[in-house]
Amino acid sequence: MTTPHTLNTAETLPPEPEKATLEGRNKILAFWLFLGGEAVLFGTLFATFLTLRNQVADGPSAKELFHLPLTAAMTVILLVSSLMSVFAIQAMHRGDKKKLAVWLSATVVLGLGFLGMEIYEFAEYVIHKGYGMTTSAFSSAFYTLVGFHGAHVLFGIAWIALLIGQLMKKGLTVVTAPKIYVAAMYWHFIDVVWVFIFTVVYLLGRVV
Amino acid sequence: MDRNLKEVQTLAHAHTVKRHKGLMDWLTTVDHKKIAVLYLLAGGFFFGIGGIEALLIRIQLAKPMNDFVTAQQFNELITMHGTTMIFLGVMPIIFALMNAVIPLQIGARDVAFPFLNSLGFWTFLFGGLLLNLSWIMGGAPDAGWTAYTPLSTTEYSKTHGVDFYTIGLQIAGLGTLIGGINFLATIITMRAPGMSFMRMPMFTWTTFVTSAMILFAFPAITVGLVLLTFDRILDANFFNVANGGNPVLWQHIFWIFGHPEVYILILPAFGMISEVVSTFSRKRLFGYSSMVFATILIAFLGFMVWAHHMFTTGMGPVANALFSIATMLIAVPTGIKIFNWLFTMWGGQIRFTTANLFASGFIPTFVMGGVTGVMLASAPADYQYHDTYFVVAHFHYVIVGGLVLGLFAGLHYWWPKMFGRVLDERLGKWEFWTFIIGFHLTFFIQHFLGLIGMQRRVFTYLPNQGFDLMNLVSTIGAFLMGVGVIIFLVNVAITAKRPQNAAADAWEDGRTLEWAIPSPPEEYNFKQIPLVRGIDAFWKEKMAGNREMTPAEPVGPIHMPSPTILPFMMSVGLFIAGLGFMFTNDDFGNGLINFLFNKYIIVGIGLGITFVSMLLRSLNDDPGWHIEPEELNGKEVKA
Amino acid sequence: MVNQESEGRAPVVKRRQRHEGPEKHVIAFIFSIVLTLIAFAAVAAGEVNVAFTVILLLVMAVLQVLVQLGYWMHMKDKGHMIPIIFMAGGFFVAFLAIIAALYWMWW
Repeated sequence: MTTPHTLNTAETLPPEPEKATLEGRNKILAFWLFLGGEAVLFGTLFATFLTLRNQVADGPSAKELFHLPLTAAMTVILLVSSLMSVFAIQAMHRGDKKKLAVWLSATVVLGLGFLGMEIYEFAEYVIHKGYGMTTSAFSSAFYTLVGFHGAHVLFGIAWIALLIGQLMKKGLTVVTAPKIYVAAMYWHFIDVVWVFIFTVVYLLGRVV
Repeated sequence: MDRNLKEVQTLAHAHTVKRHKGLMDWLTTVDHKKIAVLYLLAGGFFFGIGGIEALLIRIQLAKPMNDFVTAQQFNELITMHGTTMIFLGVMPIIFALMNAVIPLQIGARDVAFPFLNSLGFWTFLFGGLLLNLSWIMGGAPDAGWTAYTPLSTTEYSKTHGVDFYTIGLQIAGLGTLIGGINFLATIITMRAPGMSFMRMPMFTWTTFVTSAMILFAFPAITVGLVLLTFDRILDANFFNVANGGNPVLWQHIFWIFGHPEVYILILPAFGMISEVVSTFSRKRLFGYSSMVFATILIAFLGFMVWAHHMFTTGMGPVANALFSIATMLIAVPTGIKIFNWLFTMWGGQIRFTTANLFASGFIPTFVMGGVTGVMLASAPADYQYHDTYFVVAHFHYVIVGGLVLGLFAGLHYWWPKMFGRVLDERLGKWEFWTFIIGFHLTFFIQHFLGLIGMQRRVFTYLPNQGFDLMNLVSTIGAFLMGVGVIIFLVNVAITAKRPQNAAADAWEDGRTLEWAIPSPPEEYNFKQIPLVRGIDAFWKEKMAGNREMTPAEPVGPIHMPSPTILPFMMSVGLFIAGLGFMFTNDDFGNGLINFLFNKYIIVGIGLGITFVSMLLRSLNDDPGWHIEPEELNGKEVKA
Repeated sequence: MVNQESEGRAPVVKRRQRHEGPEKHVIAFIFSIVLTLIAFAAVAAGEVNVAFTVILLLVMAVLQVLVQLGYWMHMKDKGHMIPIIFMAGGFFVAFLAIIAALYWMWW
């Protein structure tokens, strides 16, 4: 519940600054709970997608639509960005503010790359192939599931960018540390969801 | 667990805080006790609206071929009655009691996230207001509270009614989810020293389990509502058969949420009943561990039975049989609970206060609802009961006969703790008898109406089918229930005029920590966090001859969170965005207004307000403020 | 978990407390990449046995998710009982929804 201001300098920062205060520990715990809820959210979206995966009406099917090299590239980028945020937390545990900022920035840049490729993919379908939300039940489910994930990526990028700013301005403290830790958890979760998306939507779409 | 005290002491200086007065105080408060009052007021308001809708429905059905309301109005009334009562009426009143009681019961100074607590309330309120705006903005939702597709798609529901439903519930549901996460975190981390999980009061346990169910159930309905919104506004095809959509998908998603939801409603009532029965029997709750186990088992099974609402959709005999058995299994843990309450009362020194009357009335009434539940769980029989008044009678027995009686018990029981005044017992007894007689008069007879073939959701019926008299009796009963609620309101008004003189242990037999502190508690709840030495911590101390709890910490400065308007602003933003999104495809006949709505400008403004508020929250760390020991000593506070 | 200063110790923190190097996380990363590669390769290889490919893909996905949850999100570390319970709960309800979608939806 408290925010001790006397502990803000690097020398006095505890080894795991994100868990130094009750407030920080509460934040991390509650974020885990939130991720449990997010699992249901994406689970329901996956259920919707699986129900409607073959209902293509007059539109193209998954086999005709998806271009695997692009998906593979997006997967690698997101994986690497997740690794970057792991390094960021390790830097945070060492109390290394500069490295922390660098790794977080790398996460954001890679996240932007992923988002750019997703926008490119959607634009390709919508503008060039005329394949939109209204084409078929499959297309509605596809855009909603992958779009929800994309919106999470966008939010994550904005959030981590905001935290980099706070880190530079306020320093690495027991107040900023839990925020960064939680944002990193969020980023990993986005990656976890993507693992299921590339498997279920893109790869299984080519197989079944 | 180390309390924050040590950390507090390291602070060199205390912060000052701007204290608001009047309306601004209520808009900015983060105190769980004030938020409880807000929940109670808002929930009570919506409960009143839902009640009036119920009475209008009953007036229409009082005689055959009645034309009191039109068929369309009737559809709107039943839809809004169900939706309002469940999402905006009883759930907020549950949250009111949770907020008022849980931090006190676990010996905490506040919830884990006071800011989120406030945010949860305001999003619920603005979602509820948005939903009810539909009455004056072109027609309320009319597809039933379950909003089954394709009835709820644009093809059959052409007004904006269902849009108000999807977006209003979306916003209100967000508030509920936030509240659920907050209570989970609070109960996990903020318990007083010595209060292990197996020493938590029963109401805390049921709140914990309920919150977990909220966490896992509400995201599902969020997705369902998003899909329906996309179908209606963005012309997507989730439920549009012509383009490959699947209407049954909605039913699955709705009930994967919807069935846990009914346990989300009833479990807190179980907790309240447990507290009341135990206190007024002057006995420890019988079979505490089995109660905890039963609660968790009900929650677990509650997630695996959703398809018993869908026996007639043609899932096939295997699925029907599985869901039948799973549903019947729930009768076991529920039965454990019923017997535990009876055994708690058995041999106890029972006092029939109003709270205990409601609790005692609850037990047989809820059993009746449970029995019809097992009848409905049998899939072949359900083909007969489905969509008749038998089902209506069943779920009103469990929700009104279960939850609402539980809420009245809880409100009477904790009213002195919340407001410092004991509700009038004589009026309370009138309340109980009018309400429960009215209730059985209304709904018992509906079982038979259903069995002889009266369909639910019909706006009228032909004479001489044997329905006439029973419907009239049912309507008379409904008005009697209305009288009961009015007596309660009168009771509240009369009590509010009396002096605020409730004792700390208002019922003299209080067992849990909330009765160890003044009624109503100070802003910081506990001057010193108490040490818990067993189940029914306060009772244990009293039996040991102590008048107060043993403190677990020395007196020190108490850290408090600052009041803030940001949760209110975030909710206003969502409200504006929701309203804007709804009218995306409308032609207002005015260039500027069309531009604002059709180009998502209003949505952008609304979301902008929300996100800027979130940004402000993130940028300005709240240092909070302190109540110094000198201030504490100036008052007569017991630990 | 009380901060050092409040326990009255010198405000200098001994930095020996389990500062794991990046090795484990890099190994987790390589593992993830390999699992991803296997999945993509199985699909790119084309006509094999459909049932086999589906099972292979799902196993790869679940393995990768477990690795990431365990290592990158520290779920394998001590003090993660509550996160494990609630994440498992979330995945369980998600699983139910998916089962419903696959088996009980009629056409």
